[in-house]
Amino acid sequence: MCRVHATVRGLLGEIVAGAQDVAVVDMEAGLEHLSRGTVRHVDTVLAVLEPYYRSLETGARVVELARELGIARVLVVVNKVRDDADRRALEEFCRGRALPLAAVIPHDPCVLDADRAGGSLLDQAPESPSVTAIRDLAEQLVGASGISPREGA
Amino acid sequence: MRIAVAGKGGSGKTTLAATLARLFARQGHSVLAVDGDSNPNLGVSLGLAAAEAASWPTLPKDLLVELAQPDGTRNTGLSMAVADIADRYGVVAPDGVRLLVMGRVAHAGAG
Repeated sequence: MCRVHATVRGLLGEIVAGAQDVAVVDMEAGLEHLSRGTVRHVDTVLAVLEPYYRSLETGARVVELARELGIARVLVVVNKVRDDADRRALEEFCRGRALPLAAVIPHDPCVLDADRAGGSLLDQAPESPSVTAIRDLAEQLVGASGISPREGA
Repeated sequence: MRIAVAGKGGSGKTTLAATLARLFARQGHSVLAVDGDSNPNLGVSLGLAAAEAASWPTLPKDLLVELAQPDGTRNTGLSMAVADIADRYGVVAPDGVRLLVMGRVAHAGAG
């Protein structure tokens, strides 16, 4: 690993460690950042998966690594779920591997539309099925963490 | 609450991270969104204009420093508080989310 990359990761860890209130980190794709301990200062890891076998297997590995790092909450979010058959299969996989399934986000053409328009999903499709599912997840995360909004907000 | 959103490219992790960040901010939280991806696009998913991306501040490498401890040992830390880093280098996104783009450090110098 090059030195600059190591610096980025060190910096990321320190910034997350010192963040007030809420920090949300969009991690680099892949598993390296987890195995190298960059995320040791986070209290929650969301492993975002797709409902097919290889993706779920990767997710199982993410969960395992995050647990090894001692992260308090390691949760699975399955995205782009097309139908009940998808849902049943992923639920069965998660049960069998003891993966904590926190959210199932439906396949939603609004996501691609927002991406194509180069903007935010929340602005472009605030009532879409995917945003509704993410809103439920946000409430679940806040509820479980016990944090409250800052005064006067 | 400090959340890392992990996943393969194309899994939708960036859209999820951006949407969560803005929903937390709407609930009244002070939210720092950190783009740790080497191919940064969290800002666009937050609702910032892609055309502006070139003007977003770059995080200097020297924010990470070695600090001498009273007992003679050394460890790494930040040369300024995270709140100050967010003020100085953060981009203000919709709903008041502060965005820091980590990937830009890697482009700031050779190494």
